[in-house]
Amino acid sequence: MNYSIETNDLTKKFGPYTAVDHINVGVQAGEIFGFLGANGAGKTTAIRMLCGLLTPTSGSGHVAGFDIMKETAKIRTRIGYMSQKFSLYPDLVVRDNLKLFGSLYGLNKRDLAARMDEMSAFLGLTDLLPRITGSLPWGWQQRLSLACANLHKPQILFLDEPTGSVDPVSRRNFWDLIQLLSAQGTTIFVTTHHMDEAEYCHRISIMISGKIAAMDSPQALKKKHNCETLLEAFLAIVEGGNR
Amino acid sequence: MSIHNSLGTGAASRPGARFSNPRIRALIRKEVWHIMRDWQTLLIVLAMPVFMMFLYGYALDVNINDVEVMVEDPSPTPETAQLIRAIDHSSLFKVKGVVNSVGNPDDIFKKRHVKALFRLSPSFTRDLLRPGSPASIQVLIDGSDQNLGTVLRNVTEPFLQKTTLSLLNVPVPVTIDVRQTILYNPQQKSALYFVPGLMVIILMMISALLTSLTITREKEQGSLEQMLVSPIRPAEILIGKIAPYVVLAAIDGALILLVGYFVFGVSISGSLTLLSVASLIYIFAALSLGLLISTISKKQEHAMLIVLPATVLPTVLLSGFIFPIASLPVWLQLLSMAIPATYFLEIIRGIILKGVGLAELWRPMLVLGSMGLFLLAVSVRKFRVKA
Repeated sequence: MNYSIETNDLTKKFGPYTAVDHINVGVQAGEIFGFLGANGAGKTTAIRMLCGLLTPTSGSGHVAGFDIMKETAKIRTRIGYMSQKFSLYPDLVVRDNLKLFGSLYGLNKRDLAARMDEMSAFLGLTDLLPRITGSLPWGWQQRLSLACANLHKPQILFLDEPTGSVDPVSRRNFWDLIQLLSAQGTTIFVTTHHMDEAEYCHRISIMISGKIAAMDSPQALKKKHNCETLLEAFLAIVEGGNR
Repeated sequence: MSIHNSLGTGAASRPGARFSNPRIRALIRKEVWHIMRDWQTLLIVLAMPVFMMFLYGYALDVNINDVEVMVEDPSPTPETAQLIRAIDHSSLFKVKGVVNSVGNPDDIFKKRHVKALFRLSPSFTRDLLRPGSPASIQVLIDGSDQNLGTVLRNVTEPFLQKTTLSLLNVPVPVTIDVRQTILYNPQQKSALYFVPGLMVIILMMISALLTSLTITREKEQGSLEQMLVSPIRPAEILIGKIAPYVVLAAIDGALILLVGYFVFGVSISGSLTLLSVASLIYIFAALSLGLLISTISKKQEHAMLIVLPATVLPTVLLSGFIFPIASLPVWLQLLSMAIPATYFLEIIRGIILKGVGLAELWRPMLVLGSMGLFLLAVSVRKFRVKA
């Protein structure tokens, strides 16, 4: 089977501390794959290795068919990344942020203009283009981040806690967009600790101290642990793992 | 343009063709937006050199004039009055008061703001007019200002000897005929001294501080990470980030030379082209130093705290601007050889004051260029390394 994202015993150690411990995942194209776990469970470390921001200590991984150890340059043109922190330029206007990131991904003027129109219509940002980015409410800044990460039509989107401190309505809207992108064939790899967000995922994996404790669809996990809600299932797995 | 080329080949292990220009252009454009938006910083960057020049120009006068002194004259005579008048009329001293007896000299220095006290002996006139017995003057000097104290110690004795002899109409005996000629700055104008020095300090400050701040700011914001996951290469990021600051530093350099010329009358004896090229090489070295600092600091505050002791202080103290390098202890002399400012000061003084050319200056220019390349290579390496 050809996976969009695939890892084999991927491991990252920081000195004596093992942040990510032999994880094996396979994510299919167009899938929304949720990466759940408590703070410090190793979610961000895993995502950063897949994006080429960190070098794994051992194990291997492929993203869009390319080796994360050797072919990071090829991977970079095919992925979009949204970090948990807002990382665009607050002092620039919305349009300038879009232009910059489009250019970094090598879009030429005409394609960039077309994609900017398309993305801002899709995300409802059109009226905000001349606004200073830092003056926008949080939810809109997150949408802009998504727009910037998505301008070059990446095959895979890595979202690291994308809705950290966004209000529930904005979060809902944000996930509607994610589902649309997935329906169009974009693979979504998302970390979160909001259970309501996990429900949107096709499959989730639950990480406990660097290891994957469970991996299945939300429905199957609930069924397996005899729980009504995903939160109960999550707690059952985490407590089981810690015992 | 030369800066861009040297950066290109220095940053990448293969020739400059590796760089895709639209990405760098986009980054440069963005950096210019930042600079324009942050007009307060821009204003400081442009106004500071001019402000510092006026400050140095009017405050830093190494020539000593009209030092205020007191004279104790226990037995006044026409001769002592004549001597006191001569002291007062000299350009060196200004007599603040003549007293019969000072009592405790300590009180004079503490209460009246004089720098020296001349105490004529009670038998001064008698001894002066009688051959074979030297007339004596005790000179007390305020040593709390070390610089002034040293100068006074050196000038007072010859001054008093000469003045007294001319009062007596005795020709000054000649044993050795010493004729001093000061070359390159015959009027000893302090502007000729501080304009090159300020150029060295300000270019270092602007270049190192601004680059290290702009890159650590990207780290803090997380935007650097956002760029690192994009296809742009680390070396391209560095070039795109620092190119605007090369221009900004060059504008500052031009500003210093213009103010130096029009306000302080400092003209450049040598080639302006050579000076510009040397300045660009120096800016490049300073920017690379700033880059290196940004690779080891996580926050803007860190960068700021490192820049001051690592660049500005050595530049001021060890480059030879304030203290002659030869009078430093050996370990500091070695340190002064390791900082870019030492070489640039040699170059810029050479060009502005002596009008020397490439034949004499290629060596320091080469050292400066190599330092820049080395620092850049180290920072690109450190920048590229992933945790």
